[in-house]
This record gives sequence, structure tokens and C-alpha cells, in this order.
Amino acid sequence: MADAVFVPAARRRFNPWPAVIFIVLAVLAVLFLAPTAGVLLSSIKTNRDIALGALWTVPSELYWGNFAEVLGNPAVHRYFANTLLVTAPATVASIALGSLAGYVFAKLPFRGSNLLFLVVVSGMFFPPQAILIPLFRLFNAMDLIDTLYPIVIIHIAMGIPICTLLMRNFFATVPTALREAAILEGANEWQVLTRVALPLSLPALAVLATLQFTWVWNDFLWPLIFTQSDEKRTIMLGIVNLKGQYSVAWGVQGSLSLIASLPTLVVFLFFQRYFIKGMTMGAVKG
Amino acid sequence: MAQLALQDVSKRFGSVLAVDGVDLSIEHGEFAVLVGPSGCGKTTTLRMISGLESATAGRILIGGRDVTNVAPARRGVAMVFQSYALFPHMTAAQNIGFGLRLAKVPKAEIVRRVAEVAATLQIEALLGRYPRELSGGQRQRVAIGRSIIRDPQVFLFDEPLSNLDAALRVRMRLEIARLRDRLDATMVYVTHDQTEAMTLADRIVVFNHGRIEQVGAPEELYDTPANRFVAGFIGAPAMNFIPAAIEATEGRELRVRFGPASLPAGHLRDAAPGPTTLGIRPEHLYIASAAEADFHGRVEIVEKLGAESLAHLQTEFTAEPITIRISEQPAVQPGDEVPVRVGRERFHLFGEAGAIL
Repeated sequence: MADAVFVPAARRRFNPWPAVIFIVLAVLAVLFLAPTAGVLLSSIKTNRDIALGALWTVPSELYWGNFAEVLGNPAVHRYFANTLLVTAPATVASIALGSLAGYVFAKLPFRGSNLLFLVVVSGMFFPPQAILIPLFRLFNAMDLIDTLYPIVIIHIAMGIPICTLLMRNFFATVPTALREAAILEGANEWQVLTRVALPLSLPALAVLATLQFTWVWNDFLWPLIFTQSDEKRTIMLGIVNLKGQYSVAWGVQGSLSLIASLPTLVVFLFFQRYFIKGMTMGAVKG
Repeated sequence: MAQLALQDVSKRFGSVLAVDGVDLSIEHGEFAVLVGPSGCGKTTTLRMISGLESATAGRILIGGRDVTNVAPARRGVAMVFQSYALFPHMTAAQNIGFGLRLAKVPKAEIVRRVAEVAATLQIEALLGRYPRELSGGQRQRVAIGRSIIRDPQVFLFDEPLSNLDAALRVRMRLEIARLRDRLDATMVYVTHDQTEAMTLADRIVVFNHGRIEQVGAPEELYDTPANRFVAGFIGAPAMNFIPAAIEATEGRELRVRFGPASLPAGHLRDAAPGPTTLGIRPEHLYIASAAEADFHGRVEIVEKLGAESLAHLQTEFTAEPITIRISEQPAVQPGDEVPVRVGRERFHLFGEAGAIL
């Protein structure tokens, strides 16, 4: 490269963009982490410390009383149980139904299936507020208010579009030759789905399980609308309910917030191992 | 009774007629190869035999039983796919035994039969590996194993070697030939590679535009093609086609005239005076002395293939170069003017519609 021109480092033009981007990202990271840090700090302080205004300071002594109070509270146990009773069936059912619909749209198309797919997926764009009152009247007429059923049903219904979209797109990447090979070996469509397509879709299922679980677990709106008694409240409403008579119990609420976020963290960590690429590697010539 | 019979089978995709009234009969133990250019309907025909594609019209019989509307798994066929179609989350052993597991065959029996098949294909050491841990040839062997284990009446191969490199393709071709002798099974094999067709087939079925052009033994198709399409498709390098005319001499002898040459055509029973196309295979053209030559051509390109060479000649009477095969003849160079003689009674004449005369 005889023509290459050497430019001394000092004379190279300074490009400010990497620095600007770094600073913006750093500021955003701090802004995003600040509430979590605040909650974490509050959870290990006494109410007195917090009341004195030392909200953002690191406590001189760790106070675990808030956690003990939360973990010993029978109401919190009930909130957890209720949330699990809503989250587990809603997550499983929405993924199961979305997988079935996604498989049909991807591998068994029929006349009008693309239009139907668009209709199903458009369900994602309904704002909950728009259907809130009709749903309340519906479940009220069915005498299901102050039960967990409406929350489960709504989360299944609202989860189906995203589950269908994701699973359909994933199944579309599973080579059709695999389905045909399985059919020639004697498999019916159910066996193709359960023995071939789904085992190959573990990454997509893991993503969906994490998304759905987190979404349903953290939901505040629907439990607020459809439950009234403390016996039926879920954990997110429980955090709000844990306030003192005359003052906000910041410490207790902080510790419960942290404890309440643990299941979603566990779910993420559990499914993280399935977030692997190349599951279909070697299936077909590539 | 034929092991596999197609009776007036057609397949239509919307307005496109992919397979048009195919009649074909394949005997037990026969190795039939379906060849033809892309989009000729050979793969669609194979898929209709397998049941993966339904026939729009006609009947398909396997072992004398009408299977036209029978589910793929109940037809007694097994298929090896071009893309192998191995289940990536299963080991080679699980892939091979997949059909038996679905059929709820006892576990011990599956293990025994998988081992048996693995021994036949010499893949015992690979049984615990996943497809991603296998080479192309090994994957193809596992795919063949999956088809063997069910002991089908008819094996279907959909271009099984087209994803392999040239050297491996030759090896696998030999293995399939050995397998075919060992299994004594009826096999239908789709390929666009005529070398595979010529080396493997008992009979070759040549497809074009959804129809069968000719069915016959490889040498039959090579020596006596039914029409210009088959003549041009079978054989590499392809047959030379030269515009010509059949003329009757005063002595009522028929001769074919092209360029400066005139050849006796009395041996061609359907020949009659008029325009024609002369077909000559490259190995039936010889570099001769000037006195013996039928025509002269200027060498444009010489392709050296090792044991032999192919010379492409420009002539005044053809738009396309004429190819001649040179084996033990004097070497020629681009630019040489060479005298060429046509092998007597080794050429073909085709009518205007392409049928052989």
C-alpha cells in the first residue's frame, strides 16, 4: 500500500459522537436505575431514617426489620398465592393457545388465514381502557367480580395475539421438510407440533414465558378493577395496601417491592438457558 | 403386477398444470430415476407418490392397492429428502427410530432394529450424535437409515445428493447403488443430474413440461432417444444439433445434407425428403484426414478433462459451436482449422416437431 497516507494521531479530526452517545446512555442508565436504588435503600432503613429525609443516603446500619415484617405478614402470603393463581394459568394458557394458532398460521394455511392472522394480531393494539367498562359489565353480569377468574381470562385473551405472532413467526422458520418427514414417519399434526415443532421452539417459548409471566405478575390495572376484598388482591395491589394509617410505610413497601420482583427474576434466570441460538442447526443443509 | 403404478395422474396448482396425465409402471425391485429440467414435474410426481401432495386427477397404486387418497404414512413408502430433514433435537439413533417410536414398537425392538440399520449403513459410531455434529454425507446416511428401518414397499429419493460436494456425491452414489443391490427394494429417485440417472437407473423416466417424454434403460435413451428433447437432455456434453435437409438422389437413395456435407440416411426408416435437424453426439465426430472429412471447423475453445478433451468448433453452417470429443487423437489448439468426419449410421434425424425420424 504505497499510496496509503499516514495521518498523525494529533491531526486526526476529533469525532465527538461516541462520547456524546456514551454520556447520554450513562445518564439514561442512571435515571433507569435510580428508582430501583431508591427502593433498595428504603427497604434497609428504618421508618425514622426515611422520615428524617435520608432517602438517598447509604444507611450506617442495615435494617432487616422491613423484610421480616413483610415475610411474616399473612396478607402478603395471600397476595403471593393470588398472583400465582392468576399468573401461572394465564401464562400457560396464552402460550398454549398462541402456539396452536401460530402453528396453524405458519404450517397449515387456509383460504383467508392471512386475514384472520391480522385480525388476531390486531388484538395487541386495543388499549385496555377502551374495553374496561364493557368487560366490567360483562363479568359483573356473570357474577365474577371480586374473583380471580376475570383477571385470568383477560390475561389469556390479551396474551394470545403476541403469543400467536411470535410463535407463528418462529414456526415459519422451522423447515417444512421436517413436518413432511414426520408425517411420512406416521406422525399426525398434533405429534408434529409436540414432538418436532415445539421442541425446536424452546427459545421462542422461553421468551414468551418470561414476557407473559412478567406482564401478568406485574399487572396492576385488572386486579384493581375486578377485585375488591383484600382476600382477592394480587401482589401489586398489596404493595399499595401496605401503607400505615397515618403515614406511608416506605421501608415495608420497598422491601415488598423487591420481594415481589424476585419471581420474575427467577423466571428470567430459569429460561435464560433456553435463549440459545442454533437450535435448528444441522436440520437441513445450510 | 407392477409395484408402483401411476395411471393418468395430473396435478394442477391454480392455473398451472404441473403434471399432465402421467402413466408410469415400475416393477418390484426396479430402480427408476425421474429426470428433467427444473419445473418439469418430476418432484411433484414424487410427492404425489409419497402422499405429501394430492393428485388432481388419476390413480396411484402401490403393490396393487389404490393409495391415491391414503395418508402418506399408510402408503408403505419412505422418502429421503434433498435437505436430509433430520430432526435437529434428536440424535441419529432417535432420528432413525422416530417412526417406530410413533408406532409404539417396544423399546428393545427399536434399539435392535436401529443397530441393524446402522450396521447396514456403517454408522454405528454416529448413533449418539446430533445432526449438527455430522457431516453432509453422514447426515444423508442417517436420513437413508430412517427410511430403511420401516421396511417400506417403495423408497423415494428427492435429489438426495444435490447438497453434497462433487467427491462425496460420487461416493454416496456408489453407496446408494450398493444399498439398492442389498435391499432388493423398489426405488424411485428424482434428480436433475443425468450422471446419477445414467449410473443408478434400471430405467430412466424423462420429464418435460409435466409430461413423460420417454421411459427406458439408460443406454436405450442414449442410443435411441424418442425425440430431440431426450436426445439433448441425456448425455454430457449434449448432442450437437445441426439444421439439415433430407434429399432423394436420382438413384432414390436418401441423403442428409448440411453445410458442405452429405451423408447416407437410408438406415433411417421414417426419413423423407424435407427439412430436418441432424443430431450427432460429440463422440461420433472424429478428426479425420482432409480427404475423409465431411466438413471443416475452426477450433474456438478446448476443454481439457484429463483423459479426454472437448473441442468446440465454429462452422459456417451452425450458429452454435459443434462439440467433438477427442480422446486418443492429435491435440488441437484454438484457432486450428480441423477436418471432421461424422460417424456413419451414428447420427439421428429429427422432424420439425422434434420427433425422431
